[in-house]
Amino acid sequence: MADIGNVGSPTENTMPNVQVSGKPTFSERMQLLMYRVRQDWQIYVLLAPAIIWFLIFLYKPMYGLQIAFKDYSVFLGITGSDWVGLEHFQTLFGSDQFLRAVRNTIQISAWSLLFGFPAPIILALMFNEILKETFKKTAQTIVYLPHFISSVIIAGIIITAFSPSAGVVNTFLSWIGIDPVYFLTKPEWFRPIFIGTGIWQEAGFQSIVFLASIAGVNPSLYESAVVDGASRWQMMWKITLPSILPTIIIMLIIRIGNIMEVSFEMIILLYQPATYETADVVNTFIYRQGIQGGQYDLAAAAGLFNAVVAFTLVMTANTISKRFSRTSLW
Amino acid sequence: MHKLKLTALAVATSVLATTAPAVLAADDLKITDKPLELTIHMHHKRYTSYDENWPVEKAACEWTNVCLKNATIGSNTTNSEEAMNLLLASGKLPDIVGSGRIKDVANQYGPQGAFQPLEELIEKHAPNLQAFFEQNPAIKSSLKAADGHIYYLPYAPDGKYGRAFFIRYDWLDKLGLEVPDTVEEYENVLRAFKTQDPNGNGIADEVPYFARQWEELIRLVTLWDGRSSGSDTYHDYYVDNGQIKHPYAEVGYREGMKNLARWYKEGLIDAEIFTRGSSSREYLLSENLGGATHDWFASTAGYNDSLAEKVPGFAFKAMVPPASVSGVQMEEHRRIPVKPDGWAMGGTNKHPVETIKYMDFWFGEEGRRLSNFGIEGEQYTMVDGKPQFTEEFLASGNVNSQLYLIGAQLQARGYWMDYNYEIQWSNKYALEGIDLYESGDYLVDQFLGVAFNEKEQKVYDRYAAQLRTYMLERQQAWILGTGDVEADWDDYMKTLNKMGLSKVLDVMQSAYDRQYGS
Amino acid sequence: MSKMNMNLYSRGDKTFVMVNMVLIGLFTIAALYPFIYVAALSFSSGFAATAGTVVLTPVDATIAAYERVLTAPEFWHSYMNTMFYTIAGTLMSLLIVIPGAYALSRPQLVGRRFWNLMVAFTMWFHAGMIPFWLNMRDLGLLDSYFGIIIGFAVNAFNIILLRNFFESIPSSFAEAARMDGANEFQILWKVFVPLSKPAIATITLFCIVARWNGFFWAMILLTDDSKIPLQVYLRHTIAELSDDEEFAATLLSAAYSVETVTAAIIVCSIIPVLLVYPWVQKYFNKGILLGGVKE
Repeated sequence: MADIGNVGSPTENTMPNVQVSGKPTFSERMQLLMYRVRQDWQIYVLLAPAIIWFLIFLYKPMYGLQIAFKDYSVFLGITGSDWVGLEHFQTLFGSDQFLRAVRNTIQISAWSLLFGFPAPIILALMFNEILKETFKKTAQTIVYLPHFISSVIIAGIIITAFSPSAGVVNTFLSWIGIDPVYFLTKPEWFRPIFIGTGIWQEAGFQSIVFLASIAGVNPSLYESAVVDGASRWQMMWKITLPSILPTIIIMLIIRIGNIMEVSFEMIILLYQPATYETADVVNTFIYRQGIQGGQYDLAAAAGLFNAVVAFTLVMTANTISKRFSRTSLW
Repeated sequence: MHKLKLTALAVATSVLATTAPAVLAADDLKITDKPLELTIHMHHKRYTSYDENWPVEKAACEWTNVCLKNATIGSNTTNSEEAMNLLLASGKLPDIVGSGRIKDVANQYGPQGAFQPLEELIEKHAPNLQAFFEQNPAIKSSLKAADGHIYYLPYAPDGKYGRAFFIRYDWLDKLGLEVPDTVEEYENVLRAFKTQDPNGNGIADEVPYFARQWEELIRLVTLWDGRSSGSDTYHDYYVDNGQIKHPYAEVGYREGMKNLARWYKEGLIDAEIFTRGSSSREYLLSENLGGATHDWFASTAGYNDSLAEKVPGFAFKAMVPPASVSGVQMEEHRRIPVKPDGWAMGGTNKHPVETIKYMDFWFGEEGRRLSNFGIEGEQYTMVDGKPQFTEEFLASGNVNSQLYLIGAQLQARGYWMDYNYEIQWSNKYALEGIDLYESGDYLVDQFLGVAFNEKEQKVYDRYAAQLRTYMLERQQAWILGTGDVEADWDDYMKTLNKMGLSKVLDVMQSAYDRQYGS
Repeated sequence: MSKMNMNLYSRGDKTFVMVNMVLIGLFTIAALYPFIYVAALSFSSGFAATAGTVVLTPVDATIAAYERVLTAPEFWHSYMNTMFYTIAGTLMSLLIVIPGAYALSRPQLVGRRFWNLMVAFTMWFHAGMIPFWLNMRDLGLLDSYFGIIIGFAVNAFNIILLRNFFESIPSSFAEAARMDGANEFQILWKVFVPLSKPAIATITLFCIVARWNGFFWAMILLTDDSKIPLQVYLRHTIAELSDDEEFAATLLSAAYSVETVTAAIIVCSIIPVLLVYPWVQKYFNKGILLGGVKE
């Protein structure tokens, strides 16, 4: 075939003799490995740019994580700063407010996992059931628009909508005889409003992955189901959903990995001291902590804690997923 | 060459100004014989980089023979602290570092060698700065780092007044009420605004007291002899007879909160004060709904012009602070005399003497005029020996924006603002209000901040932010009525102490004593 | 396929379809509102915008904000920069992500689990701003177009997503191609890429959107004004127009305000993104491909 294809061919034929009986020695294993690498060298060429990129741009600066254990002076640099061991972690965990922030973060994430995660999937499935192409395409384009409107504006709309004097929500409530509620100062309302805002702003954009996945479903499956007299509802449950399950699982695992990350910008815009009780999350806690000059080290410690928690959860989810389906992150 | 140019400049200005001052003695301002170039990092939210072509900088370069070269890092971010951190991390500091919010950085990294101590240099080479410090000893103390050195020179604002009590005089007239003198009268007026329909639309939709920042509601605790802050930032500590206190742990505050909660419940305070935000003033005034607020003189007075047509008879003007329950008339907010912005000398600067002389230049007569008013003959002319902005310049748009464009009024430069520059373009209602406040003695001294040593800093970092969080949570709960300040107070104080309030006050006190010498 | 199904509707299906359409319609209207609001804001007077009286339609309609935005050469310059960053950056991303995802999806890849973990790991563990910046400086990539393009070319999420799609393609396709004498490059290009058009279109869209919206690192890394993208320009404009309240408020009389100018820039910046989406949608309807190849 192509010239490139032939370059490797002389070596490809020299398969090392590997004894099948008994345990292979280390050098034999290495030989086998080298053989396999030589055999499929093209794959490694394809992989190389991505791996090199990760090494240069993301792994090389990762020594910066150590500032979580240092009294970091930006001027003295990372190596010049003194080690402080676990002091930053002690500061964090010694604080009731940090623990509350961790609890709030997990609660907000769990609720948004319950409502926010299925929303784009349902939306994608619903789109799939629309037969009018123009309506479908227009609606899809529109629902993805809010993703492009900045959080400041979205939050402004929410604050107005929930205002006790002029907001649509309270106007509506007054029609059915309920007194106006100052929603944004009520701790019990913060989570529903925040999660609802998230769905409204992001569900359309997030549904794209699932739409793409649905587009990949083999149409012959539907054709034979139609022949068997299946209803659309049945086809959705029996064909579409199982077909996009791998995508759902991957997205779910990634979502679980984001459990410690809650949209910081939106919280800052919507919360009040009166709602800290339910609204204060790790990011906002750190933000307020650092008001007096950039406490990078403390933020790094919190970030590392978040990462470890998230990563542990993902490993668990990944293992479970691997056992019950073929899908896994790694 | 330089002399020639300067004479030409002098001739040009003397044509424009009838009473031209004596031509600048160019050699007096010259710092070096040979032109000297220094590098500078200059970052401020409004101008994120230094520009060698600013006319003000060109003039300074010509007069002093010290010229700056731009070496700003992070000039596309609008966050000065971020830019500063990148600069420090880069490990190579320029000769001069100017920035918004430089204070904490200078005090933290100066002792580590990032910046040079300045007080000795000032003593030897900077007569203008010396004079400035002699006039303003408190400012000098406020600059000191924990090790006793001075590492930066500040932007020093001039003029005393910031915010004031504003009220609808036309509403008062309509309801036949006097301007309230005491807290009781103030309450009655607000109640009348609520119940007697001063806007005449037949609906009780008036919002008696409103504020763009809900913290301005808390400010009203001064009417019950409480405090809300000791400086121009909210919720700050204050100094009471040399004693550092937190306003939210004092009895006056409890009294104030009790009454404000009552006002809020009764509808004398904007029900949406916590979320209405920056649009509230524009909205409530233009819709003829808002009755009173506590806000900046200049920008609030401006509505008398801009709403004159829309709201007939509109008169939203300043009133003196109502007397508190004990009869004290206090305006807690004022323009702070020293800002945390300014510039510092890089630790590796090879020309400290020339640099300090250059920094001193901006505190001298010529430098101060240059940094405040711009170029003679361009932005201003001399009238009766005083700089006066030209009509043309004042008409050309936002004065400060125009000045930034030429390199004047840059707050990332250590300089001394001249209040005369502001008077010339202030709204007449604002000036009236300021005169009103001048007639009494309403202002209180401000807490100018402390520099912690390492040990103190650790204590502060550990407790301060969380204390504040707890205080604000309780504060809002009390106003909103989900808690009762009287019933909660003992628990509240106990919790504050458990959370480290006394430790924070202790380290602040020791830092304060060291810095301001008690 | 939809035509065929339409003829076979049962009555139950028809209600199902109707209810579905109404629900989608309602959600769409809700999702349209922010855009309408921003558009109305952009055509309102500065005063109305600041006072917050704009709800659905412009108040004191004016095009002053657009005049302010569209007459600034910096706006157009940054617009062109954004276009460039988006196109070049997306191409660079695809060039690295597609082969990488393919390799990671191959069962014969030695250490496959390790490589995948290595990629996924970066989703949680980040170096932090300053070390990243120092690294970019040491690489000589500060203030450079190329730095912005290469420095943010890859992200783990996109690679994993695409890898997942590649994995769902039955191995028989690769086998068949190999039988025909195709090498891995050819299998990727001639078999996997055509079969994964919806997925690649999605990844492309994600890259485009991320580039289009990204501003943080451009702000930090670029020093030259002439290289900044639109989103950074927007932030500069906001900073420039925000008033010093300490001094007189001259903006009161102005026809535009920071709110209306921001809205106008958002409207201008959304239009190209709107145009990209239909292009992506085209590929979502090509699901037939997979079935087609199988026969």
